[in-house]
Amino acid sequence: MIRTTKKTLLSIAATIFLVSTVLMACTKQEAAPSASNGSAENTAVVSEKAITLSWPRDIGTMNPHTYNPSQLFAQSMIYEPLVSYKAGGKLEPMLAESWTISEDGKEYTFKLRQNVKFSDGTVFNAAIVKKNFDAVMKNPSLHSWLGVINVLDKTEVVDEYTFKMTLKQAYYPAIQDLSLVRPVRFLGEAGFPDDGDTSKGIKEPVGTGPWLLAEYKKDEYAIFTRNPNYWGESPKIDKITVKIIPDAETRVLAFEKGELDLIYGEGVISMDAFNQLKESGKYTTQLSEPVGTRSLLLNTTNDKLSDLRVRLALQSGFNKQAMVEGITLGLEEKADTILSKNFPYTDIDVQPVEYNTEKAAAYLDEAGWKLPSGKAVREKDGQALELELIFDKTDPIQKAMAETMQAEWSAIGVKLNITGLELTTQIQRRKAGEFDIDFWYNYGAPYDPHSFINVVAEKGWGVAEANSGLPMKQELDQQIHEALASTDETKRQQLYSSILQTLQEQSAIVPISYIKKTVVFQNKVTDFAFPANRDENPFEGINISQ
Amino acid sequence: MVSYIGKRLLAILPIVLFAILITFVLIHVSPVDPAEAYLTAAHIHPTEELLAEKRHEFGLDQPLLVQYWRTVVKMAQLDFGQSYMTNEPVWEDVVSKMPATVQLAVSSILFAMLVSIPLGFLSAIYKNSLIDYFSRGLSYFGASIPQFWLGYLLMFFFAVKLDLLPVEGKGSWEHLVLPTLTLSLALIAIYTRLLRASVLEQLQESYVLYAKTRGIKQRIIMVKHVLKIAFSPVITGLGMNFGKLLTGTIIVEQVFSWPGFGRYFVDAIFNRDIPVIQCYVFLAACLFIICNLIVDLVQLYMDPRISLKGRTDQ
Repeated sequence: MIRTTKKTLLSIAATIFLVSTVLMACTKQEAAPSASNGSAENTAVVSEKAITLSWPRDIGTMNPHTYNPSQLFAQSMIYEPLVSYKAGGKLEPMLAESWTISEDGKEYTFKLRQNVKFSDGTVFNAAIVKKNFDAVMKNPSLHSWLGVINVLDKTEVVDEYTFKMTLKQAYYPAIQDLSLVRPVRFLGEAGFPDDGDTSKGIKEPVGTGPWLLAEYKKDEYAIFTRNPNYWGESPKIDKITVKIIPDAETRVLAFEKGELDLIYGEGVISMDAFNQLKESGKYTTQLSEPVGTRSLLLNTTNDKLSDLRVRLALQSGFNKQAMVEGITLGLEEKADTILSKNFPYTDIDVQPVEYNTEKAAAYLDEAGWKLPSGKAVREKDGQALELELIFDKTDPIQKAMAETMQAEWSAIGVKLNITGLELTTQIQRRKAGEFDIDFWYNYGAPYDPHSFINVVAEKGWGVAEANSGLPMKQELDQQIHEALASTDETKRQQLYSSILQTLQEQSAIVPISYIKKTVVFQNKVTDFAFPANRDENPFEGINISQ
Repeated sequence: MVSYIGKRLLAILPIVLFAILITFVLIHVSPVDPAEAYLTAAHIHPTEELLAEKRHEFGLDQPLLVQYWRTVVKMAQLDFGQSYMTNEPVWEDVVSKMPATVQLAVSSILFAMLVSIPLGFLSAIYKNSLIDYFSRGLSYFGASIPQFWLGYLLMFFFAVKLDLLPVEGKGSWEHLVLPTLTLSLALIAIYTRLLRASVLEQLQESYVLYAKTRGIKQRIIMVKHVLKIAFSPVITGLGMNFGKLLTGTIIVEQVFSWPGFGRYFVDAIFNRDIPVIQCYVFLAACLFIICNLIVDLVQLYMDPRISLKGRTDQ
């Protein structure tokens, strides 16, 4: 008996020792970086200006030529484009000092900046530009969504600081496409793998941007510090720490505690939390200009929806303003036009379709959809006016909007069936045209308006397919192709005006609301400005008051 | 003993094969096309050519039986393919995230034991006393409160209001406190009640009465005899919960930004990251079986009345 007890005690002691050793070993790591206002490290270096922000997922591999898991804002801190996209769609020199476009719109010659160095001190020149283009063009199918890649014929080094790009056909948004965060940004020589194929990975993230990745712990944090070799105006703050916090409510609590200085992005905190932080008066909250439009896509190949009057009835039959206030709590703005007016070529005069249920009923009566007495759903030739709206079941806003529309349209005699789907199934059905009504979003700056008109004309995204029942579809496609290839600015504006006017009148894409980015920051953060490019980081010029 | 363990380990095979089969069937029954899911997760526009390329790469153009056989063979080599989200081999991802999850699971179990053993024992001995009422209240609270909510509440009071601990993250021991408390409360609720009931049952046994008549001190009867036997159901619970903790710290890891693999699986589910989901099911099956086996062995050691023969016959 005594022997057993001894043995038991011994084994318990051994287990406790083992477990505590493991635990001690695990906890003896360096503590995760905390916000700028509390750590001992910061009191040592009093003058250091640092900002801590949260991001929902790990920043990824920081490969400039590939997509997930790399996060756009972080890629844009390290890598720079030839041309930068600024407010109102203005294109400004970045790594290219200037550029010329040949008269036929096919040859683009870039004069590169001469004082640019990568963060490792190596020189930025036409040869490295070409090497990056070559790496991207090794996998054209990966980038086939991007217009410039599809029309790119060849690239050449003219001299050390002149780079030329030749297109197979004129394509005016080529420059806009080059301003994107990926895939055409520039990795330094040291980052290239031996075979030059960056799609499989890079050696290290070496860029020309204002920041460099100084410390990184996957799924926990990333620390960016100033690039000492930066050619432009150096950032005003010394350090940016990105903490990976996947949960939205935790982000808010960490911010309230002061562990975070800034929460930025789209849908990164709940609408309730945003309004609550705003009302507390203790922090600064801001909403950006519209970055995209939340719309409904009506499938005009459907017999019922091929009638313009039915589409107009649907658009005037629901209250966008109430939906924006009730569902998005004012964080989105009622949309009257398919594209908001802060994009290039979109500031045109078009007639919005206002909320008017009487008018909606009149449209339906006129189209022959009558309400039989004693029934709630309109009928025509014995067929009920019944439609299906598909939505992403994991998106609470889509769900709430779908339910609201179901209620509102039933008041005008339209029966709406709503079906929640997996995102991939929703996309599949959209592409196959297997839907009556679907939610749809445009791409935002700098993709729009050219990417938007492109998907209206080109099949494969579901939008051209859904619009193919429009009587003037061929004419519309013709205009779109002309606009994308046009080299004359005035002509291009005319074409855009006509295209957008037609789409607005046809009501096959029904704008609901403009989506905005949100930011919440501690009052010590100053000079915050939303980037014009939806995917760029917002740290240009940002500062903190000491 | 060795042959018993060998037999139990062999029994893992059919169970795991069955688990793989179920996952395989569910994935093929689901309307989500893995090639489409991959491209959506990778933020790449799914053109027809790319889809065909990916389907071929994933072997989705092969007959179902061939696909199943390939999946089994690969899993046997711990090759779960690449995650759609991270583009890294799934097994490497899991191995790198495992220590954080194990750390959290072990600390929660230890803390739960530390609280529930004395609490359960005392509330049985002092039945219907203040301590019993307290343990009952705590158990109701722990069993019924949703973990994510408890996590937020603890965060709000201890991190934001009282400023004693960090809100989230991993690093120092302070970071471990709130997630451990959140996870262990539910365990404390179960173990305390389990131990209390078990001790009360043992107290009715005749050996307790005989021990008393032999003049053995009450304290010795309780600690050396009653507690030792009464502990058996708690060990069973512990084994079950350890497996559950290793696979189920999902919510707590998400809430506290704990970089374990629970969070990795949440992301996988939201993004239809099929290789990761397959790996999860496989791991969960293996872990549960292994934990059960360990529990059986420990019980065998603690209570010699449970015979090996009886076990294997069952």
